[in-house]
Amino acid sequence: MFGRRGVELVKELDQSLDSIPPFNEELITEILEEMQRLYNENRIDVNTRPDDHETYLSIKVRHAVLKRDKRCILAYLYNRLRRIRQMRWEFGSILPPEITVSLSKPEVQWFDSYSKCLATYMKSIGDNHGLNLTSDLAPPKSLFIEVKCIADYGKFEFGDGESVQLKKNTYHLLPRSECEQLVRQDGCVLLSPRSLTVNCKRHCERKDQETKRESLSACRSL
Amino acid sequence: MDPNEVEFLGEKQLVSIVPNFNFDMIHLISGSIGPFRAGLPVKIPIWLAINLKQQHKCRIIGQEWMDVEDLKNIKEEEKKSKVFTKMPSNHYMDEVHMLLGAASDDIPNADEIRTAVKDIWDIRMSKLRTSINAFLKSEGTHAKLDHLTAMEINNVRPLLPHALDQMVRLQQIGQASATADSREESQNMSSI
Amino acid sequence: MEEVDEVVEENAEFLEESDEDGGVTAQSVLQDIENAWLNEKFAPEILPHQSDAVECMLQQISHMEDNMKSLGKGSMKSLIHQMEINRIRFIISSYLRCRLEKIEQYAMHILTEEAQRGREDGYLSSDELRFAKDYLSSIELLFRTLALQHMPNVLQKFEIETMTVKPNIHAHVFLRANKRITGIIVPGTVDEEVDFEEGSQHIVQYSAVADLVKNGDIQLI
Repeated sequence: MFGRRGVELVKELDQSLDSIPPFNEELITEILEEMQRLYNENRIDVNTRPDDHETYLSIKVRHAVLKRDKRCILAYLYNRLRRIRQMRWEFGSILPPEITVSLSKPEVQWFDSYSKCLATYMKSIGDNHGLNLTSDLAPPKSLFIEVKCIADYGKFEFGDGESVQLKKNTYHLLPRSECEQLVRQDGCVLLSPRSLTVNCKRHCERKDQETKRESLSACRSL
Repeated sequence: MDPNEVEFLGEKQLVSIVPNFNFDMIHLISGSIGPFRAGLPVKIPIWLAINLKQQHKCRIIGQEWMDVEDLKNIKEEEKKSKVFTKMPSNHYMDEVHMLLGAASDDIPNADEIRTAVKDIWDIRMSKLRTSINAFLKSEGTHAKLDHLTAMEINNVRPLLPHALDQMVRLQQIGQASATADSREESQNMSSI
Repeated sequence: MEEVDEVVEENAEFLEESDEDGGVTAQSVLQDIENAWLNEKFAPEILPHQSDAVECMLQQISHMEDNMKSLGKGSMKSLIHQMEINRIRFIISSYLRCRLEKIEQYAMHILTEEAQRGREDGYLSSDELRFAKDYLSSIELLFRTLALQHMPNVLQKFEIETMTVKPNIHAHVFLRANKRITGIIVPGTVDEEVDFEEGSQHIVQYSAVADLVKNGDIQLI
């Protein structure tokens, strides 16, 4: 059926909402071939039987399919591009390899150009003062947050030269700015009230309580 | 809007604390605070109060309205009134959440305050649902929302505006097809 | 510690002085940015930029940070200043992010509208405008490389007219009136005229109050 592949293409994206499925070059090529074929058929019809009513109708139908095919391909590309854009905000300017493999070469190039355009903009903010918009995503809470170590991390040194021993199943009140990388490296989970819900599955009974400063009295519940 | 962001706005509200240290006035961009004299109450923004409390540098007195009797009266008023009554703070819900969360040891009757506020919230939310329902059925286009607080508005944000948006769309489609119908009719007329 | 106080005080004094001349204080600029942030968050369309306020505030922050370097890193005073700076930086980045998201989402529409506005009354800052143009042309390039150039001639066009996505300016918004406003026309099956009292809160179609949001008479909430 005409235009079926176009819908398939769009559906494919729709079924994987959170990830980027591999670039479906094969299907796109097939659709482009269908377009070329329909276009040629129309051209022949226009040249040979321009006044025939039935021919006129088939030309109309083919043209509608052509437009639909175009629309499906562009919708596919655009929605992939929006997801790739999201990667820039989540992972920074270097794409993880497991994502790059799913992208076509022009998409990887698009990522780089988006990345550059965003960087140029961020540098220009406030009369070239510069502001990194990819951080400060959530409202800042306290300067300190309570974390629980989920792995033996060992000695962790702070920017100011102080350090702390991070042992598995211990609790610490740490400066927020220093914790972000620890959490990303899976060394710690956040226990501050905001993230309690997020990590509630991993939140277990407290034992071996040991805090760097005072234990946070602010584990709130309401 | 994320509820965290509503709370973030609520954190700007001032609250009384009793510091256990001495310090001169501090000139913040959002306004000056202090001076701090150990044992003397002073008003500072909630975000700072919670932080000083975490560092055991102060005791939080809480808001004047965080009084069980007052809150019970508010609750009765709310029950009796058809319209929304004025709350003691535009951020009453988040202020209770934040201040009692951080300093339930400082604020007397914390649990009772929590319960009373939760009751008030429940009464108001149920009133809100009923009035939204009536409003939508009346096919109203605009509504006055006096005395609704920030968190309450945020709570109906995912529902009410979108429901109204959809109603406008349906109306527009209705109007468009009505004009189309009449145009068709007049065409038919002329062809007769 | 003294030094910071002096510098900040100087700043504050300077700003207070200018306030007497009808100018602005850092505090009022901060409030303006916060209002702009909420308006931008809730308005369906992009609003006129506030780069002057943003620039001014970022400068304040960077002065403050420079001065804090002389304080001990863990001192209570520097921690308090740092906390406030973090809060302000969050508002500014969230505000600018929100604008950027709209610029991306409605790039074609915004650029078309912007082309009709004068240089002085453009809604985008010059840097946002450059971003919008670069963003749109990067999309066009991708579309061309992967698809358009392989299509039959007549279909190769990058059709701005058919691909434009416009914000829904009839979307409903919550608002507070900053002053008494009379004669607001609320569109409906029958257009209705309403008055807002100062401080009153309403829900209404954005299109009915768009101009009032832009001139500051109404705050979206």
